[in-house]
Amino acid sequence: MEKIKIGLPSKGRLRDESINFFKTKNLNIISTFGERNYFFNVQNNKSIEGIFLHAREIIERLNDGTLDIGISGLDLLKEFPEIYSDNVKIIKKLKFGFADLVVAVPRDWLDVQNMADLEEVSFEFKEKYNRRMRVATKYPNLVENFFLSKGVSQFRVVSSLGATESYPFTGSSELIADITSTGSTLKANNLRIINDGIILKSSACIFVSKKFYNNSFINIFK
Amino acid sequence: MKQGLEKKKLKEKFSKKILSFFKKKNFNFTDLDLLIDTNLLTERSGEQFKRYALTYKDLLGKEISLRPDLTVSTALKYIQEKKKREERYCYYGNAFRLNKNGDLIVFDQLGCEIINSTNSNSVLNLLETVLDPIKKIKNLKITIGDLNLFKILIETLDLPERWKLRLIRHFPRKVYFDDLLKRLETNYDLDKETIEVDTKRLEYLNKMNQNDLIGGRTIEDIVKRFKKKIKDPRDNFRGKSNVKIIRDYLTINVPIEQVEQSIFSFFNKYSLNNQNIKNGLKKIILINKKIKKKYLISFKTDFGRSAEYYTGLVFLASINKNEQIVELARGGEYNNLLKTLGYSKNVPALGGAINLNQLINL
Repeated sequence: MEKIKIGLPSKGRLRDESINFFKTKNLNIISTFGERNYFFNVQNNKSIEGIFLHAREIIERLNDGTLDIGISGLDLLKEFPEIYSDNVKIIKKLKFGFADLVVAVPRDWLDVQNMADLEEVSFEFKEKYNRRMRVATKYPNLVENFFLSKGVSQFRVVSSLGATESYPFTGSSELIADITSTGSTLKANNLRIINDGIILKSSACIFVSKKFYNNSFINIFK
Repeated sequence: MKQGLEKKKLKEKFSKKILSFFKKKNFNFTDLDLLIDTNLLTERSGEQFKRYALTYKDLLGKEISLRPDLTVSTALKYIQEKKKREERYCYYGNAFRLNKNGDLIVFDQLGCEIINSTNSNSVLNLLETVLDPIKKIKNLKITIGDLNLFKILIETLDLPERWKLRLIRHFPRKVYFDDLLKRLETNYDLDKETIEVDTKRLEYLNKMNQNDLIGGRTIEDIVKRFKKKIKDPRDNFRGKSNVKIIRDYLTINVPIEQVEQSIFSFFNKYSLNNQNIKNGLKKIILINKKIKKKYLISFKTDFGRSAEYYTGLVFLASINKNEQIVELARGGEYNNLLKTLGYSKNVPALGGAINLNQLINL
């Protein structure tokens, strides 16, 4: 019988909480090949083989069917093209890994309270500087969809790999859209979240690949 | 549905015949660039346009797209050739777009464009030229809209300036526009508590160098807009009644000969200032006078909202086939496009194209 392939996040709190969540389902993760090895097994269960991967990679592997089950962030799935949501199904939203993807502007942009303000400012900006306002983010697709749904069309996405909060103050962008759980990093960097600027409320989820969706094994996670 | 060689032969036959007609009408044939700098497309149509364009990055990271329509390519040609006067172009070529599923759709388009013309007959001239090759098609229907009339309506309404701008800017985007109307009804866009907190912060900003930049904007701009915003009327500006007028206007759908009367009675019904309407209706009145006998033409206030670059009159020639609308030709005025693409100023421009793929399948 073919083994069930499971992917778990390889780093940080998401890894620890994923392991704990599996434990609550009587699936004890053991690193048979050593702590630094990416592969793992489940105690007393030879039908499962697992691998620790980057959370984004887990979505990719569920999408192409090389993984059957995985834990990753909802934000990551939503950032991929829509076709991924056809191939990767959510079994359950989990009670950890909470974070919101939000639009944030410099604190002193007093005149910008909401997306409607941003829409007006973006037109004025384009008129004055003959270029579009830049939004730095790690989530270009989600940001584009959200901005357009709120009528903000005069913008350009700048891909950020990290320290996104610094972009408006280094001249790399005018505003940002980033993941935050408490808002304290944004605040510490003189940014404020726009009133109606929550793009997505995310948490960790347990996902299943489309081809594995009818397998009864997934019922233990429901 | 015709296939392979038969299709190719038909395309050749039609394109040759139609192009020769366009040339006879004083349109000059032009070869257009197949590739377009993606930045120019997004400057024109916004970031969302990338989704529909087949785009790749060159080795230096510059994004290039296969042309998604031929109007942009024509406008770029006008700019590249540093033209200053009226130019009349015609073309035949492919436009490449991705559909919702990411599949490539190739359109064969035969079109005409008139750029920088001050002649008041240009719209009529272009319309006649584009429609003539398809005029004999049975049950052909022409639908006309005019985005400029909507602008005139909004300007006459008793609304804060910010709302007028929003409604005009977002008219082409139906879903968002409906959302805007809902917000206008309730005037939901100001948070009084936040304004109070921000007014305190304003004192601090006032003391700073007004030319300093915060997130790319000068303090002067931020302060100016904030002060303007808090003074802008936010209550009792008849949001509900204005929305009723706009919604009612968007239901107008009449034969072209009734447009003038319908629009005037609409303005009278709501006691709106109609002094700019006569001028705004000039083109439609001219079309009605000159070609209404040749075609079945209807006017819809809600028509022409699909492309953001149209600014005035828009048209569509179509037939109904198996309960579906088959679009044979479409076009319109796009007076702001050239400046967006890098020309020194806005110039009047209009164009229209025949969809050859549909034509050969009739």
